[in-house]
Amino acid sequence: MNNSSARRIASILVLSPVLVITGLAYDAHARRAAAVHDVAAIDAVASRLPTSDLALSGGARWLRAISLEEPSAAFADGPALPDPDPAGAAMAPPVELWSATTQPPARKPEAPKAPR
Amino acid sequence: MRLSILGFALRALSRRKARAFALGGGLAFAVALVAAVIFMTEALRGEAERAHAAHPDIVVQRLVGGRPTTISAAEVAKIADIPSVRSVTPRVWGYFFLPSLQGNVTIIGTPKGGQTLTIANGVLAEGRDITLGEHEMIAGAELATFLGLRPGDELGLPSWNSDAHALKLVGTFRSSLDLYTADVIICDEDDARALLDLPRGDAIDLAVTLSNTAEARVVARTITERLPGARVIERDLLARVYHLAYGRRAGFVLGASIPAILALLVLAWDRASGLGPDERKEIAVLKAVGWSTSEVLWAKLFESLLVGASATALGLLLGYAWIFWLGAPGLRPALVGWSVLYPRAALTPAVDFAQLLGISLSVMGPFALLSVVPAWKAATTDPLETMRT
Repeated sequence: MNNSSARRIASILVLSPVLVITGLAYDAHARRAAAVHDVAAIDAVASRLPTSDLALSGGARWLRAISLEEPSAAFADGPALPDPDPAGAAMAPPVELWSATTQPPARKPEAPKAPR
Repeated sequence: MRLSILGFALRALSRRKARAFALGGGLAFAVALVAAVIFMTEALRGEAERAHAAHPDIVVQRLVGGRPTTISAAEVAKIADIPSVRSVTPRVWGYFFLPSLQGNVTIIGTPKGGQTLTIANGVLAEGRDITLGEHEMIAGAELATFLGLRPGDELGLPSWNSDAHALKLVGTFRSSLDLYTADVIICDEDDARALLDLPRGDAIDLAVTLSNTAEARVVARTITERLPGARVIERDLLARVYHLAYGRRAGFVLGASIPAILALLVLAWDRASGLGPDERKEIAVLKAVGWSTSEVLWAKLFESLLVGASATALGLLLGYAWIFWLGAPGLRPALVGWSVLYPRAALTPAVDFAQLLGISLSVMGPFALLSVVPAWKAATTDPLETMRT
């Protein structure tokens, strides 16, 4: 590595956070701009929903409408206390495994059995 | 001159490749982890706030024994005549446990009036809105997929109430709205009432819309006086709940990441606790050939900046790509939760230039400064003495 190439590479490395930050900020801005098209749809559907809470962990705990159900939903048991029944467990089972333990309902009713 | 020192610093790092990569790699990993959690938490808050505007200004519930219970629709009259109240709507909604799903779905009754949901306004992926009185429903895309339902199919939900009708699926929500609709079934209010076994004349809660939202606090106080024991929830206060709820989840994940952050601190301690014998020798040689103390300090500062800057850039890039380009595998269940009905819609980044700059400076600043003190100590000692020892 000669002097000039070392200087060039070093300058790029020092400036790399600026380049990455600019690139990521641009990508984030573009994604937000694309999501603006969804605003009308979200407004339309949200007006029918009981709350603007997100559908997070609906089946794991009664947390679908946290803001309406628990008077101090953000502190289920106390400020900064661990959640004993974590909806957002850090070690979640794979969704496929979780789904496999349930059985979708049969779409057609079974034929009546003949009397013995 | 400074540019030459910068070039020298890069060549000095390349002579100690293994150490530079270990230091930079550890730092990049820690930055990626912390940045990813921040990116995702901000995105979830942003998603919740996007629907926040459509939330009623005030929601009134009845409490019995400190727990929410049904409220009589007759209570509407006690609220409707409060000045600034535009409308009071009794709402019928609730949870329904589906044994086949081993989870709850949210049943929502649609009252008369309101905006029509269509494919054109971007709400539905297929089908149409329900027709009141026809025992129809719209379901979330995820729910419909799991139950194997397509528009035109009928679903009989196992309600206690024998009056509950089977519902015909007439539309599904767009999958991009999964975060709001993954577990939702929207049907006629009478059907919802039958499914949830809610007596006629009762409601789950009352949605109050105001003509002047600035008066929400005053109206809420009046409602509390007129309905003693009622729980009155103001929309603006819910924003705080969202911040706390997602902040708590992020806190858990960051708490679980303490080992990784400790590794970063150990690396930083390595920088702070002093230089190795090779580096001391190198500084002594530089001083012996005529480098000044400030030039040596600049060289060491640039070495730290090169490692810190490139590791921060790489960490930010990895964190962003992990959440928004790859869909946050591994991290999403920790922050979004998990269940059979799992919202899979892509998150919209809420992070901006200032936040990204803040994360970078909070990592690079201390990291670069930590290298100055040991370098200054080495640079101010006698080079001959350093080389002899």
